[in-house]
Amino acid sequence: MDHPIIEPWEADDLTHEFYVPDYIERIAQDVLESYDLSVNSIQVITTKPDKGGAIWKLETTSGPKSLKLLHRRPTRSMFSLGAQEYLVKVQDARVPAIVKTKDEKDYVEAGGKLWFVAEWIEPLEPVTKDLEGAKHLCYALGEFHRLSKGYEPPQQSEVASRLHKWPSSYEKMIIKMDWFRNIANVYHELPASTHLLNVVDRFEEQARNSLTRLNQSSYSELIKKGNAFWGLVHQDYGWSNGQMGSNGMWIIDLDGVAFDLPLRDLRKLISGTMADLYRWDVNWVREMIKSYHESNPLTAELYEILMIDLSLPNEFYKNIKEVVYEPELFLNDQTTQLIQTIVDTDQTKWPVLKEIEDDWRGRE
Amino acid sequence: MKILMICTEKLPVPPVLGGAIQTYISGNLPYLSKFHEITVLGISEPSLPNQETIDGVHYVRVPGQILEIYREGVIKYLESTSFDLIHIFNRPRLVLPVRKVAPEAKITLSMHNDMFNPDKISPEEATAALEEVSNIVTVSDYVGNVIRNLYPQATAKITTIYSGVDTEQFLPGYHPKMQKIRNEIRQEHGLENKTVIMFAGRLSHNKGVDRLIRALPELSKKFKDLAVVVVGSSWFSEDNVTDYVAYVRAMTKKLTIPVVTTGFVSPSVIQNWFAAADLFVCTSQWNEPLARVHYEAMAAGLPILTTARGGNPEVIQLNENGLVVENPENPIGFVEKITEILSDKSKMKNMGIKGRELAVSLYKWDRVASEILGVWGDAIHTSSSSVPETLTDIYVEQEIIKDLVSADSIEAKPTDTKSNNKQKSTLEKKVEAKPTDTKSNNKQKSTLEKKVEAKPTDTKSNNKQKSTLEKKVEAKPTDTKSNYKQKSTLEKKVEAEVKQEPIIELDNKPEKEIENQGIKDKSKTHSVRDMIKESLRESVRKTIIEQMIIDSNEVSTEDSISNLIRELKRRRNIE
Repeated sequence: MDHPIIEPWEADDLTHEFYVPDYIERIAQDVLESYDLSVNSIQVITTKPDKGGAIWKLETTSGPKSLKLLHRRPTRSMFSLGAQEYLVKVQDARVPAIVKTKDEKDYVEAGGKLWFVAEWIEPLEPVTKDLEGAKHLCYALGEFHRLSKGYEPPQQSEVASRLHKWPSSYEKMIIKMDWFRNIANVYHELPASTHLLNVVDRFEEQARNSLTRLNQSSYSELIKKGNAFWGLVHQDYGWSNGQMGSNGMWIIDLDGVAFDLPLRDLRKLISGTMADLYRWDVNWVREMIKSYHESNPLTAELYEILMIDLSLPNEFYKNIKEVVYEPELFLNDQTTQLIQTIVDTDQTKWPVLKEIEDDWRGRE
Repeated sequence: MKILMICTEKLPVPPVLGGAIQTYISGNLPYLSKFHEITVLGISEPSLPNQETIDGVHYVRVPGQILEIYREGVIKYLESTSFDLIHIFNRPRLVLPVRKVAPEAKITLSMHNDMFNPDKISPEEATAALEEVSNIVTVSDYVGNVIRNLYPQATAKITTIYSGVDTEQFLPGYHPKMQKIRNEIRQEHGLENKTVIMFAGRLSHNKGVDRLIRALPELSKKFKDLAVVVVGSSWFSEDNVTDYVAYVRAMTKKLTIPVVTTGFVSPSVIQNWFAAADLFVCTSQWNEPLARVHYEAMAAGLPILTTARGGNPEVIQLNENGLVVENPENPIGFVEKITEILSDKSKMKNMGIKGRELAVSLYKWDRVASEILGVWGDAIHTSSSSVPETLTDIYVEQEIIKDLVSADSIEAKPTDTKSNNKQKSTLEKKVEAKPTDTKSNNKQKSTLEKKVEAKPTDTKSNNKQKSTLEKKVEAKPTDTKSNYKQKSTLEKKVEAEVKQEPIIELDNKPEKEIENQGIKDKSKTHSVRDMIKESLRESVRKTIIEQMIIDSNEVSTEDSISNLIRELKRRRNIE
């Protein structure tokens, strides 16, 4: 069947949150023809208009399913689907099983993208936004990382790996600090510019120190063990993609998985959670790492790299990088406030990192 | 010989979408195809057919973009067609899969950037690939040195062949063909009476145009007539603006100096922008292999300011055709050097003239092609102990090409070069070293010399002798010194005058059409090929190899690289 190539679409005030262009809805109907499913209802659950992706929930006679339009290149999506299949079939992990097409395929290619149907897991509840919930998330993450080891992507797929990219991503952060500074200088008359200039040196210095430490760490030795040894990271893990089901924690939305050291997911979870608390809490951090360690034991070497990754000015970078797009709009009073909050939170980070830095000393 | 050139999976050939490697291949084909039967294997593209033959070159296009997919197409193609030599461009990861399906072919590898780095290819696969290739051509000493540092064992196989430029396409703005275009572009974009600084390249941190933008406020205090042209894509695109482009746009917005941004410019008209400019600036921050824009700027008669990164400074003769910023991270370096150039108008002019001279004498495609022919000859010659007797004819061909190449290259170097320059002397050394190289490490040579006594340099001026030689060694391409420099339309016109004339004399007249006559000799290259085939068919070696392939196919259920490596090692041992 010939379909138009799927492109990102405009989402504006005239379209509602769940708007999907008609031609894509039509492709979705055609895609469903490839499945041995009797569909009673179909409903858009989430959209990514800027990328050209969407998820539908299907009610079928054989239970609820999800239909996904993956926005990535088909060969990249094949990598993720292969991973999902491996986790379910080989490792018996709690991730949604892929529903096969009539001719036993994992996906349908239409409109230049991959589509697939998976089980819709019910019931699924977000964990509580407290330390207990955070620990559940960390344990489930460790389990996910452990089970993903040994994955061998299909021949046809693009191998997604971040294993070698740590130094360059640290360098990129350092480079962008300079961009922030230059923009603040050029747009010095705007409200937040002075505040940005006051702190950017400090955060740049932090990033430089992190890179130095990374280069001195066992990182370069660890990555030699290769992709299959380390397994996959989720890359979009948090309070919505890790949820509690009837028989334990489930991990969903695996579309962005890539090979990597199993630390960035955990680092993001920790630093993001601390940002939500507006302060770093040594007890939370320790407990979260401990929960992770229970399901996917960390060596002293990995622990050191986790410490290094936590030492990056992650929250500053994440929140300020938007400045390059529309500096006139971004450098306003609200951003001044934001910078202040980030600086305050950051000050509570260093004593915590200091306190836990030796926790793994002497372990294997 | 029957030769396959395998492009990368990224962009199609001809370079309808640009690309340095694609331009390189297309620039050389008119010369290479006079000697050999050439197939170019590249990626499919909606505007191009999947198979076609243009000017005697056969093009085959298979799906690409992703290496894994492309590799599959390459292998499938090679399973049905065989070649004497396979020239792989910039993809060491294709070497082993290609070797598996083409056990007899010689493999030459061209390296245009750091694809041997450990994040691009595992040391295990790289080591095995290096063993399989006969030689490696790099676009700069820098690229070769990076490979040498990683894999010292490859050293003897590595040769630098600087890239080239079409000096008829890229012409100075003052050239009669360009004056009108220059004026029109300048008028259209408000650049009249401006000193135009040009940047051409991707808009990325590595290419560093932001450093030029940041140097402008300071420069505008010293020079009142400045304007900047940024030739590069993605400036206007709304959907996929990278953080970097957004950053550069934000920085440009506040400038008082006019900055003209062109967006993507088709490779077929990009010379017009060069002709409209007054100074070319390369701002690269990364260790760049050696950007093509340097050759283009030289051909366009522009003084060049580049950075001391990667191979870029290798084509700059300090104060002769340009200057080099030693520390390109700091915009101050650009302020200082641009000031230096713009402050002395006569020096600036001379740099442009010198650049044009260098382009015409050193960086034309015919010189590149002749060096590639030499490398191919070497590759065929390295055919180890099992070369069948009849293959010696191919050796003769190769020897003659070598002499031709070395003689020409030496002559082609600028005579007025005052050698206070590293790059120049490297290049000179290299071309001078060639004849010695060819004579030295070769056992077979003496036998061959006996066979073709009337060989090398003296053939240059003696046509009679040459034709005797031709009869004697049937399988070689004939008119030795000149047949890689030809254009059939001009053949008759220049035949008489050119035949006896050393090439350099033509090259030294920079703006004159430099064309030589040559002889189309497809049938003869065919016969060489046939002889190889025939002899190989008879040789035990082939039987063994075939058996090996059958064996290994049974053993290895998948094409994993480690299996390939194991298999090739086994094959090697048996040989």
